Amino acid sequence: MTEPFADKWPRESQFPIVERYHSAIRALVAERSAASGKAWEEVVHDPAFEFTREDFEKVEADLLATGYRFEVSAIVSIKEDPDKYKPLAATVESGEVHHDDQGRQIVGTGDNVFSTDDVTGVARFISTVERVMEMLVEGVPEQTIAVIDDSGGTLTAPILADFAGVICLGGTVRAHLGILSREHHVPCLMAAQIDGLKEGDEILVEYSKRAADAYADAQSAAEQRARILKVS
Amino acid sequence: MPSRYSYSQLLDANVLARKGGDSFYWQCTTRTVQESKLFPVNPYIAMSYLNAWYRWPELLRKIDAAMPAEEIGDRARNVGSYVNTITMGLIPNFYLGGRQMLLDMGMLRPTDALDDIMFVLDFGRRVNMAYHRSHAHVFPSDSNQRAQVHTERQTQTFEADALGVKPGDRLHTAFGHFMATVSAYGFLSHCECRLSFNNHGPYRTSAGEMIVRDLIDLAECDYPWMDGVAGALEHNNLTVPMIMKDTHFHIMDDWGSFEATPSYDASNIVAVGLYTSDYLSDGYIPVHMDSASELADYLDHLRDQMSEATTEMWKGMAGWTREQMIDSGLLVYYGVLKDLAHFAGVYEQDDWFMVDERAQRFKPLFNDEYGGALIAEIVGYVSLTSQQLSEYHMAKFSDARGEMWTPIPYSVLVDDEWTSTVGPIRPGTSSLPAKTAPYTTTRGKLSMDECNKLAREFRPAGWDLRHYDDDTWVKNHPSQADLPAKR
Repeated sequence: MTEPFADKWPRESQFPIVERYHSAIRALVAERSAASGKAWEEVVHDPAFEFTREDFEKVEADLLATGYRFEVSAIVSIKEDPDKYKPLAATVESGEVHHDDQGRQIVGTGDNVFSTDDVTGVARFISTVERVMEMLVEGVPEQTIAVIDDSGGTLTAPILADFAGVICLGGTVRAHLGILSREHHVPCLMAAQIDGLKEGDEILVEYSKRAADAYADAQSAAEQRARILKVS
Repeated sequence: MPSRYSYSQLLDANVLARKGGDSFYWQCTTRTVQESKLFPVNPYIAMSYLNAWYRWPELLRKIDAAMPAEEIGDRARNVGSYVNTITMGLIPNFYLGGRQMLLDMGMLRPTDALDDIMFVLDFGRRVNMAYHRSHAHVFPSDSNQRAQVHTERQTQTFEADALGVKPGDRLHTAFGHFMATVSAYGFLSHCECRLSFNNHGPYRTSAGEMIVRDLIDLAECDYPWMDGVAGALEHNNLTVPMIMKDTHFHIMDDWGSFEATPSYDASNIVAVGLYTSDYLSDGYIPVHMDSASELADYLDHLRDQMSEATTEMWKGMAGWTREQMIDSGLLVYYGVLKDLAHFAGVYEQDDWFMVDERAQRFKPLFNDEYGGALIAEIVGYVSLTSQQLSEYHMAKFSDARGEMWTPIPYSVLVDDEWTSTVGPIRPGTSSLPAKTAPYTTTRGKLSMDECNKLAREFRPAGWDLRHYDDDTWVKNHPSQADLPAKR
């Protein structure tokens, strides 16, 4: 008779959803192997003993039934299954306002991918396929500084070269978008944090700052961050 | 019942698994989190591990029977193909990633599928050792992050043939624009992963350090979604030797990516070349390298073609369903070994572009959050319960108790129970359109059967003398240094 598999050094998974899913599956394995009355080696690769798609659907359904909703990463996921996912987070607006010594509002900072000239342009948020398609068909407006909440290289692949600058709200200077912006020589801040930046704002981005050092300690990295300044 | 393996074989297997896990940990934690608003990346990565777990053992046995792993490594060392540093280095990691997920779910025990694991790891060890023969390591991380894949013979040719450039001249400008365009194209065609690019080197030249940049699967090839949109592209694989002054490439890592001191700056590029090659070519074939202006024209032409293909491919992908995005990404990852089958002449589209029914059944679990959390736990935090060892244990880089891949217990050498295999591959399905276009090769656009026939018949001119393409042999035969290549 198969017993549940022992573990002398167990620990809970780092993420509750992994713990929940794997615990549920482990319990089901133990239950079914015990019910089979056979040794583990006889059942583990036996098609008759295999879990089915329905078994895994039930694991998900049980979690959703508690009211839990998943974090989303790809647009297509929430578009196809809006009921399974949490709504996308809105843009940060803390209400706190900081200015530089020339009185310009600081609306964000980020890690500079490479050092070039500062750029003044218009902030345009790009986070959907539809927005990219619109710019692909109608052209990217002049002096667009794209604010992108995705450090991947695919969402904006066909229009990236036409941006005057990029402000990416995720990733690191080594992320795919960072690599591509450097290859295209499009100025780019990665891991940007914004507060108070809105669609259509005219901004100056300090792309002349020294390129971020991926190996820098936290304090040095913070001091090196480039600022995003609202100029109108 | 004792297994048929010797103690040393099992030691080898566990060492390679740990070496793979250590390499993968360093890469995953020092590079970057892979994310995309377009593709559900982590769900497809996790699914690819499962497909590899169920399918690779049988497919690698088929390949090895047609052409041993070490022969493929020897062949691949002399061309640019998908058999390279990153793809081959991923063999233990993607495969054992599937095993670790199932171990953690309680669906496997460490003694299960012993014959499969031993075979896949041994295959991975052989192909990597042969591919990296010239620098005599298994992975670049064993070589302090350096990958000198080529011998003196090939390096000398690349250096001699490279065309000089200066910032602002036509070729320098065209080269920069081309590399930017092909980078965006490669990320998109590979569904947000960087498997289209592989670099090796550096090699010291009189003008500075040279790295060799392979750009893979650019034309109509194995990926069904490139049918039509990439039809105008003439070469499927391109190799770009690039010499830079005042630049030291201090990292050439296990994913074939580099870091330089000072940071990579295109204005330091002093010479470039362009070649094509594949499993059917006798080494590297120069592409429009008769003059700098001819190469500049061609790179501009390629850039235009790739920009157009990027736009068309993006429009197609933007309309995909989530399942199509998952399938395409998982098949790119799972398919990292597909060129092994091309070299061996046993490539079957359905072997490499279908999701096995045993992997398919897991799809309902893979919402974005679980996919992301699972991959983070497996390769970043190393925090799954199945990965934890005793309180005395300290992992190589993290000092933590977790190790990425669970070793095979040595008790299988004595009297512990174990199982042999997950069994033959089962029918698979894919939500993607079927491939219909021919395959672009250095011998033209071919059907799958033609590719396999030519691959089985092909013998590189220097094949019988390949064991003379060895810097130690050359060192001691200075007057006959180029003999093997001329015979």
